[in-house]
Amino acid sequence: MEVNISRENNTITVCFSGRLDTPAAQEITPQMNALAEEAFNTIILDCSEMSYISSSGLRIFLTIRKSAADKGAKVIVRGICDDIRSVFMMTGFLNLFEIQ
Amino acid sequence: MKSEKKDNKKPGISVRLRVLLVIVAAITLEATSIIQFVYAQREIKQEASLRAKSELKSAENKIMDVVDQAEAAVRNSIWIAEWCLEYPDSLIRIPQLVVGKNPAVVGSTIALVPGYSEKFPLYSPYATRDLETGEIKILSLATEEYDYPTMEWFTKPIELNDSYWSEPYFDENGGDILMTTFSMPVKDKNGTIAAILTADISLDWLTELIGEIKVYPNAFNMVISRSGQIMVCPVETLVMQTTVDQFALASEDYEALDRVNHAMLSGQSGEMPVRYQGQANHVYFSPVERTGWSLSIVLPEKELYSGVRRIGMIVKLLQLLGLAMLIVILRVATKNQAKYHRLNEQKERMENELHIAREIQMAMIPKTFPPFPERKDLDLAAAIIPAKEVGGDLYDFFIRDEKLFFCIGDVSGKGIPASLVMAVTRSLFRAMSAHEDSPAKIIASMNNSVSETNESNMFVTFFCGVLDLNAGRLRYCNAGHNPPMILTDAIRMLPVEPNLPLGILSGMDFIEQETPFLYDDALFLYTDGLSEAENATQEQFGEARIEQTLHGRKRSQDHLENIKQQVSLFVGDAPQSDDLTMLFIHYLGHANKKSHHLTLHNSIEQITLLPDFVDAVAEEAQLDHEAIFNLNLALEEAVTNVIMYAYPEGTDNVMDIDARVDGKRVSFVITDSGKPFDPTAKEAVDINAEMGERPIGGLGIHLVRTIMDTVNYERKEEKNILTITKNY
Repeated sequence: MEVNISRENNTITVCFSGRLDTPAAQEITPQMNALAEEAFNTIILDCSEMSYISSSGLRIFLTIRKSAADKGAKVIVRGICDDIRSVFMMTGFLNLFEIQ
Repeated sequence: MKSEKKDNKKPGISVRLRVLLVIVAAITLEATSIIQFVYAQREIKQEASLRAKSELKSAENKIMDVVDQAEAAVRNSIWIAEWCLEYPDSLIRIPQLVVGKNPAVVGSTIALVPGYSEKFPLYSPYATRDLETGEIKILSLATEEYDYPTMEWFTKPIELNDSYWSEPYFDENGGDILMTTFSMPVKDKNGTIAAILTADISLDWLTELIGEIKVYPNAFNMVISRSGQIMVCPVETLVMQTTVDQFALASEDYEALDRVNHAMLSGQSGEMPVRYQGQANHVYFSPVERTGWSLSIVLPEKELYSGVRRIGMIVKLLQLLGLAMLIVILRVATKNQAKYHRLNEQKERMENELHIAREIQMAMIPKTFPPFPERKDLDLAAAIIPAKEVGGDLYDFFIRDEKLFFCIGDVSGKGIPASLVMAVTRSLFRAMSAHEDSPAKIIASMNNSVSETNESNMFVTFFCGVLDLNAGRLRYCNAGHNPPMILTDAIRMLPVEPNLPLGILSGMDFIEQETPFLYDDALFLYTDGLSEAENATQEQFGEARIEQTLHGRKRSQDHLENIKQQVSLFVGDAPQSDDLTMLFIHYLGHANKKSHHLTLHNSIEQITLLPDFVDAVAEEAQLDHEAIFNLNLALEEAVTNVIMYAYPEGTDNVMDIDARVDGKRVSFVITDSGKPFDPTAKEAVDINAEMGERPIGGLGIHLVRTIMDTVNYERKEEKNILTITKNY
C-alpha cells in the first residue's frame, strides 16, 4: 500500500495505490489521523490505483469524512473501480461521499 | 370355474351329512320309544296284575263275608239241631231260627235222613223270608215233586260227612233268584248223621259285587262254580246255562280256553294270556275257598295298553315333527353355513390377493441394499415397515444418465384402495421419469394421470428428487409430502414449496426447487408413519427426535437401523398404525475434490495470506474476479474479527480456516479456541443513516452478511466455529 499526499490551495489530494486491507489500514491510520487534523477546504481521495478495500480502510474514509464535515470542508472520492464501488454500495458510502 | 365347482361340492357333502344326521336321530328316537314302550308295557302289565289281584282278593273277601255268615248261621244252630233230634217236633223251629237271626240267609231247612225218625220218615220244614214283607214262612220240602233226599245239598254232605256248598241254582220256588246252599250234617249222640241243616243265600249280590270290579272299562269279570257253571258273566244268556267247558268246546280257541278253564277249575290262582277271537286277553283268576268257585277278570290287551299306545302315537307324531324340524333347521343351517363359508372364503381370497398384490408391489420397489454396489459416490438405504393393515406407502429410486431419480410417497387412507393407488403411483413414477429429468414435470404428469382416474378421491403426498451425480445438484419437487431432512453442515428441513398432493386437481403446475447437494451431503426422506409414530401415551415421535437420531456420520443403512431402533424404543408395545417408510441418500461424489486449509496466527499481518488462499479456492470453484474480490473481503472481515476479539492482545494463538467447494457453493469454516464470541450477535449497521449518526465500527460483519448467503456461528467443544457460505 502506498499513499501519496499533495497539497495545493487548501486542497489535499491523497493517492492510494494497492490493497487497503486491514494491515495496510493499521499502517496508515496515524498518518491519516494527522491529515484529518489539517486545515483544508477540499480533500480528494484518489482511489484510481487502489485495487481493494476492507472495512478498516472504509473506517479511515469515514474518519476523514467526519472530520471534514466538522470543518465544513468537502471530501471527494475519485476513480473508484467497480469492485470498490460495490463495496461502497454495500455499506451506504455512495451516499456519504461525493464520487467523481 | 374352480370356485364354482367348489361351491357345488360343498352342499353335496352337507346333504349327505344331513341325511345321515336325520337317520341317526330317527333311529335313536325310535329305539328310545321302543324301549320305553316295552318297559311301559311291562310296568302296566305288572300294575294291572297287581290291581286285578287286589280286586280279586277284595271280591273274594266280600264273598267270604257272606259265605261266613251263612256258614256261621248253620254252625251256630247245629248244637240246637242235635239237641232237638230227641224231640223231632221241635225241629221245625230250627230253620226259623236260622233265617230269623241271619239277614243274609234267605231260606233254611233241616232235612231228616229218611228213616231216621220213626215219626217223620221224610221231614224237611223249610223256612223262607218273604222278600216283600220280610215275614218268615214255613214250607215243607218233603213233597213228592221235590224229593229232597235226591237233592245235591242233601246227598253231598252225607257222602262227604262234612259241610258242603252246593252248586248255584235258580230257586224254583222264589222266582229267578240265583241261590246256593250251605249244608251241614247234624249228628246224633252216636255220631250218626241224622239230618242235614241248610242255609240258602241269594247270589243276586254276587252279580252286583262282581260287576263293581272295573279294573279297566272294557274288562269283564266272571265267576264260575266248582263244576264250571258260569255264575256271573257279562253275557247274560250264558249265566247258569252253560259251563266253561261247553263254552270252550264251542269256541275255535278251545286250547287256550281249556288251559285257563283247567287252571281255574283246579282251584289255582294266577294269570294267563288267552287269545280269543283274534284278540289277546289277560285272564287273572283266583279261587273262592270252601265254595269251590273261581273268580276271574278278563282284560283285553288292547284295553290294557291303549293308554301307552295312545302316548306312543303322540310320541311318534312328536318325533316325526321333531325330525321334520331337524331337517328344516339343518337345511337352513347348512345354507347359512355355506353362505358364511362362501363369504369367508371370498374375504380370505381377497385378503390373500391383496397381500400378494402388496408383495408384488414390494418386489417391484428396490429392496436390495446397497442398491448400487459399484458406485462409490452414493450410499443409499431404504426401508418400509408395513403396518398390520396394508397401507399405501411407497418409495422408489433408480439411476439413469448419471442421475439418481428417487421418490417417497404416502397414499391417503389404508387398505385395498390405498394399496392399489400406491401401485399405480409407483408405476406412474417409473413411466413418467423414464424420459423426463425435471421432478416438477414428472410430478405434474403423474398428478394428471392420478387425478383423471381418481374416483375414490384419494390423494398421494409425494416427494420426487433428481440428483445429478456429476454436478452435485439436487432438483426436487414436493407435492404435499412432509419435507425431508437435509444433512449438510447442519441438519435442517429441506425448504419445500407448498404444492398440493397428487390426485387433487388435474392440470396443476408444480414448483420445482434446487439445492447444491455436495460431497458428504445427505438427504433423509420419510413418511408420517415415522414422525407420527405414537407411544402408549399418544405422544408422537416428532421431527425433533428424528433430527436427533440423524446426528453423526454413519452409513445410510446404519442410520436407518438406528432410527428403527429409536422408534421401537419410543413406541414400546403400542401397535403400529401406519406404514413407516424411510429413504436415506448419502452423496459421496467428487471424490477428487481438493481440500483447502489455512492456519493463521492471531496477528493482523496474517491477513495478507488470505488473497492467495481465496484465489486457490476460487480457482476450484471457477469464480470470476468480482466474486473473488467479495469472497476475499468477507473472509478478511470474518478473520479480522477473530484476530481482534477472540484472543487477548499480545498472546500467540492460532485459528483454522477450512474452505470447501461443493459444486457452485463455497464455504469457509473459521475455527478458533478463543473466548466465546458470536459476531452474528452484533447489531446490524444502518447504512442509510445520516453522516452524524454513522458509527465508525460494525461494517465488517455487515459486509460478511451482505456478501455471503449464510453466516452461521456455533460454539462447540470450547471452540468458536463460524461458517460462511456463498452459493453461485
